[in-house]
Amino acid sequence: MTVVDQKKCDECGTCIGVCPQDAIILGKALRISSEKCTSCGICVRICPFAALSTDGGKSK
Amino acid sequence: MSDAANNKYDIIVVGAGPAGSMAAMAAAEAGRRVCLLERKSKAGAPVRCGEGVGFKGLTLSVEPRPEWIKSTLTRARMVSPSGINVEIKNGAEGWILDRERMDAGLAAMAAEKGAELIPNTPVTSAEKLPDGTYRCVSAETGDAREFTAPCLILADGVESRLARGFGWNTALKPGDIESGAFARVKSKDIEPDCCVFYTGSKAAPGGYVWIFPRGEGEANVGLGVIGSRCRPGLPKELLLSFIAGRFPNAEVTDLHCGGIPVARWTRPLVKEGVMLAGDAARQVNAINGAGIAYSLYAGKAAGAAAAKSIRPNGTCDHRTLTEYHRTWAKNYGKQLDRSYALKEFIMSANDAFLDRIAESLSKEDPAKISYLRVFMRAFASKPLLLLKAFKLFK
Ligand SMILES: Cc1cc2nc3c(=O)[nH]c(=O)nc-3n(C[C@H](O)[C@H](O)[C@H](O)COP(=O)(O)OP(=O)(O)OC[C@H]3O[C@@H](n4cnc5c(N)ncnc54)[C@H](O)[C@@H]3O)c2cc1C
Ligand code: SF4
Ligand code: SF4
Repeated sequence: MTVVDQKKCDECGTCIGVCPQDAIILGKALRISSEKCTSCGICVRICPFAALSTDGGKSK
Repeated sequence: MSDAANNKYDIIVVGAGPAGSMAAMAAAEAGRRVCLLERKSKAGAPVRCGEGVGFKGLTLSVEPRPEWIKSTLTRARMVSPSGINVEIKNGAEGWILDRERMDAGLAAMAAEKGAELIPNTPVTSAEKLPDGTYRCVSAETGDAREFTAPCLILADGVESRLARGFGWNTALKPGDIESGAFARVKSKDIEPDCCVFYTGSKAAPGGYVWIFPRGEGEANVGLGVIGSRCRPGLPKELLLSFIAGRFPNAEVTDLHCGGIPVARWTRPLVKEGVMLAGDAARQVNAINGAGIAYSLYAGKAAGAAAAKSIRPNGTCDHRTLTEYHRTWAKNYGKQLDRSYALKEFIMSANDAFLDRIAESLSKEDPAKISYLRVFMRAFASKPLLLLKAFKLFK
């Protein structure tokens, strides 16, 4: 699944705008639902600050 | 849900950006009980915006306070991929805003009109209840809070996450979003009244770099990269290397990122008692990424329709809400549709094509090329540039 590096994340919400699974939520901090995420990688590519990474679905 | 307070309103507005604050202000002004829920502790900070706006677009919706305006633009320059300059000089047409002050000011104005501004409140879910009203829940801190109302305005910006629960598919395709990064730069090299744009696949693939002077030797410098040509961290890398090359040894602060929807505006804008406004409804000019004027306008129209829709018995007349969609479609819908069509066309063009446009424009009288025409309205109404573009394309 896809994970966020909180130190790099600027909380801009861009990744949320593209996630087809509605798997990302920004509350106090950014969270990704391991249940909903399909590791499609769309959010990883769009992040302006390279704060997201995915293991290609190995853990799913 | 433990002992969440049972907060009942006529209208709930989610997001205190320009769209949400205008909506809350318009609805509260009409005497409705309104709450304005904002995730951050303070509306407007940090700024995620170039802060450029045309006079007309801003003043159509709100009378700006003097402290919202940082500088007035009188000139613009476009730099093509190979470095051809196109000068545009036809008098003052736009401002650089202080969005931190403006956004906070708009939220405060909504509160003065009677809206209840509730910061530190990320709405984590929104749903329709069996009685036809809507419930928003903020459940981040353990002590979940609930808000209910017969009418809900979603102005949650580029994320537009909450709309999905009501059947809208707001997830943007990578080709319909710009991934952006920007910073404040202090340098003696900044021209005080001139905004500068750089295009080309080296500077910003499928987007452009902008320099917006905000006075006192400072500028907003930023760029957008089209999502379909982005890779992790590319906007930040390109920005930092642009700044290092163009403003060596400058003081760089406030490095932030943000996403700009460059999609078609969402249709319909209203479903039953729920409305979308601003970036959440993708009400953005797809050519240049400008959204401030549109979100102000849309928010105000949505808030006015919401106020009108509340019946004396406290229910919401859903048909009245659709006035918002019609007002928007009539006044801005076509213009933004044209911009979207043109965006699709420009995206298919290569650097050589942009150079050819620049070359032909660079021979024009700078006073006769309208900055507003080219950027703020993005070729939309008097398509001098479009005409040339198509001629060159043949
Ligand atoms: C890098 C960049 C540069 C830009 N430059 C320009 C420019 O020069 N000129 C221009 O006209 N436009 C520009 N734009 C676009 C402009 O910033 C937006 O169009 C505008 O801010 C949209 O206003 P809005 O009210 O719809 O959304 P926003 O201003 O994004 O406000 C949304 C608000 O909702 C809050 N929120 C989101 N989700 C929740 C939730 N679940 N619960 C509670 N609160 C929530 C957010 O915290 C935020 O305060 C730029 C955008 C970017 C990213
Ligand atoms: S796009 Fe990147 S920086 Fe922005 S919120 Fe998502 S992870 Fe954070
Ligand atoms: S990898 Fe795909 S599904 Fe998972 S959070 Fe990112 S965009 Fe959503």
